Amino acid sequence: MSLWHVQTVAPCMEYIELGRACYTTTPPLWGPDGLIYNGHLITCPRHYKQTTNDVANFFYEPGNDRLVAHIILSTTYWPSWDVQRYEFSAEDGSWLNREEVLARQAFIGIWGAAWTRDGTMGSFNKIYACRNSETAIREISWRTAEPVSGGWWVDPYTWNPKSIYGFAVVNRVDNHFAGIGSWTLDCWRNLGATPERFGQLRLPNTLGYLAYESRNYCWVVTKDGGILKADYQVPRWEMISTVQNPTADARNYYITYDTRRKRVVVFRWREDAPDGACRNQLEFYYPMVEAGQLTQPVPVTSLRAGNRIILAAHLIGDAGEGVTPYTVEGELIEPVEGRLVTPFSGTELNGRVCFQYQAPDQACTETLMLQVSVEES
Amino acid sequence: MYEKVFESTKLAQPTQGGDSWYYLCYVSTWDAFLAQSIWEWSRVFRDGTKVKFGTTSGGYALLGRVKGFPAYWNQWTGKVHPAFEINGLPNPNEVLNPNWDIGYSLGPSMQVGKFIDDMNQVYLHQPNANRIDIYDLENGQKLGEIIHNAGEYFASLAWVQPGQVAGLCRGSGKVRIMDYLSSPRVLESGRIEPFKVAAYDDAFHLFFALGTDHKARVYCREAWPAALSAPVFDPAAVYGLKANRVKARLTGQDGEPCPDWWVHWELLGVAGNPPLGYFDRLVSKTDKEGWARNLYFGPDDVSAGQTRIMARVVLY
Repeated sequence: MSLWHVQTVAPCMEYIELGRACYTTTPPLWGPDGLIYNGHLITCPRHYKQTTNDVANFFYEPGNDRLVAHIILSTTYWPSWDVQRYEFSAEDGSWLNREEVLARQAFIGIWGAAWTRDGTMGSFNKIYACRNSETAIREISWRTAEPVSGGWWVDPYTWNPKSIYGFAVVNRVDNHFAGIGSWTLDCWRNLGATPERFGQLRLPNTLGYLAYESRNYCWVVTKDGGILKADYQVPRWEMISTVQNPTADARNYYITYDTRRKRVVVFRWREDAPDGACRNQLEFYYPMVEAGQLTQPVPVTSLRAGNRIILAAHLIGDAGEGVTPYTVEGELIEPVEGRLVTPFSGTELNGRVCFQYQAPDQACTETLMLQVSVEES
Repeated sequence: MYEKVFESTKLAQPTQGGDSWYYLCYVSTWDAFLAQSIWEWSRVFRDGTKVKFGTTSGGYALLGRVKGFPAYWNQWTGKVHPAFEINGLPNPNEVLNPNWDIGYSLGPSMQVGKFIDDMNQVYLHQPNANRIDIYDLENGQKLGEIIHNAGEYFASLAWVQPGQVAGLCRGSGKVRIMDYLSSPRVLESGRIEPFKVAAYDDAFHLFFALGTDHKARVYCREAWPAALSAPVFDPAAVYGLKANRVKARLTGQDGEPCPDWWVHWELLGVAGNPPLGYFDRLVSKTDKEGWARNLYFGPDDVSAGQTRIMARVVLY
């Protein structure tokens, strides 16, 4: 089961209801009911006036201890789009400004959301984001996603080699910086003087979102739900895992790190339900691997009568990462002719367990059953 | 033929239709195998469990590396990069061949495996189906060659132990264990079933293969007996009242020796007569070359006649 799953809040948000019966045929732009954009949103069975068009930013805002998402919506009302700031409790994922958003009072303006993207928390608990309208990376306001006047900024396009990033983590304390276009995490140092690109990490798949954890670590979620932790000061991959139950209906994944509770939060943008209801969800994970499966024991020595035979199996997570420490118990199923020398065995760092079996002096068929109990959260 | 100890019921198949594996490497820190296909990177376990963890991208070709790790050759730069232990992804920050760029004609491909030993600064290249050339990583000079005469390119060249690699042929399943360091030569020959991709597991000294039917097969590095030779006397003349040396040889399908098997010896009478003489031992174990030896004592009463020797091996 991938990373250790704490809880899922699904759905974590709602769209504004139409408030009347849905249209049987898609209403025209100009009709008896006035101006209606995106008429398909309120054509039966759909009956919501909004849908998610893009998630511009998703980050943990430590000042208010909230998870913040700036979401661009397609709407039926004027001017066919809306940008709202969704605030969730970092504790349990509950939607804190529900009334405000459903009353369209959390509007942050188009410029912050459209020109700023993929913000994440960085040094000094500030939010930093790349921009669609320029190559600079700027400190932005968590409220509006607009650059803070007089805020910190760098422009990687002026560095050598000239670079443009869509995602970035900023470590102003050590003058480190890591940015991603799509496939490669570029690690820079010496930001204060002449920035130098000293290392690169290739991603296992195209990026979904990048999040800052600390002066050393950042988190990556890929388009298909893979989660990786990297040390961007070495640079080196530290961990590979996945979200729980990656689904085909996920449009994208967004990741952030709750530095107060030391856990990973993933925002999953999912396709709307058939009636148009929002199905976006928040998932909370502890940054440790949960056991997903136990592979079959496989003999690794010659299968001959009278031999001591070694069998190996693995306890792994959903990305194949070894899970430890657990005790795996072995049991021979009746009829038993030989002897299981190792009745239980502990997993090694790569999740491997080895069992020894003493074969009798004649030919036989034997069945070994393995089981492990993993405590549920 | 090596002894097959496991064949999976699970199928390790690339996720996308039309995709197929083209490289497999044992990763010692995972105790599992890194499989690469056209569109995916996966971790495969010995029982055939497959977990996809990434999508391949152009520019990197896998090759074997000393100590049982994968390495990646970049065809554009000619550099070889190590892999991260955590996820097997190429680490472009390190270069294993800083002094000599491995050119396009020497690089690895889907059909022809290559091997890099950056500890001893050696690169193994297959110029044809019967030979391996050993290059010096420092300057690209050819240091020596191994004539193996397998008649087929090794799809994988995998690390076995310091100074040794295993070459595995896809079409014939031929296996050669070779020394490339102290005195380049073939140390051991054997065979597994033809496969799609295969690797050498240096933790338990196994061959691990994914077949074209996507089943995982595990072979331990011991030949499975196929033939026991007729017992022969050495010297050939047999005398009564004397211990006559007799031996029989147990071999695999391709004539490779099968050590450590018990051979049972039995005397049979001819034409209804009782057997003559007796054996020193009723069972004896085959030695490293596959020979089982025994002593035959002729009848101690000068009687003459014929007797037959039967040697048997119990496989199951």
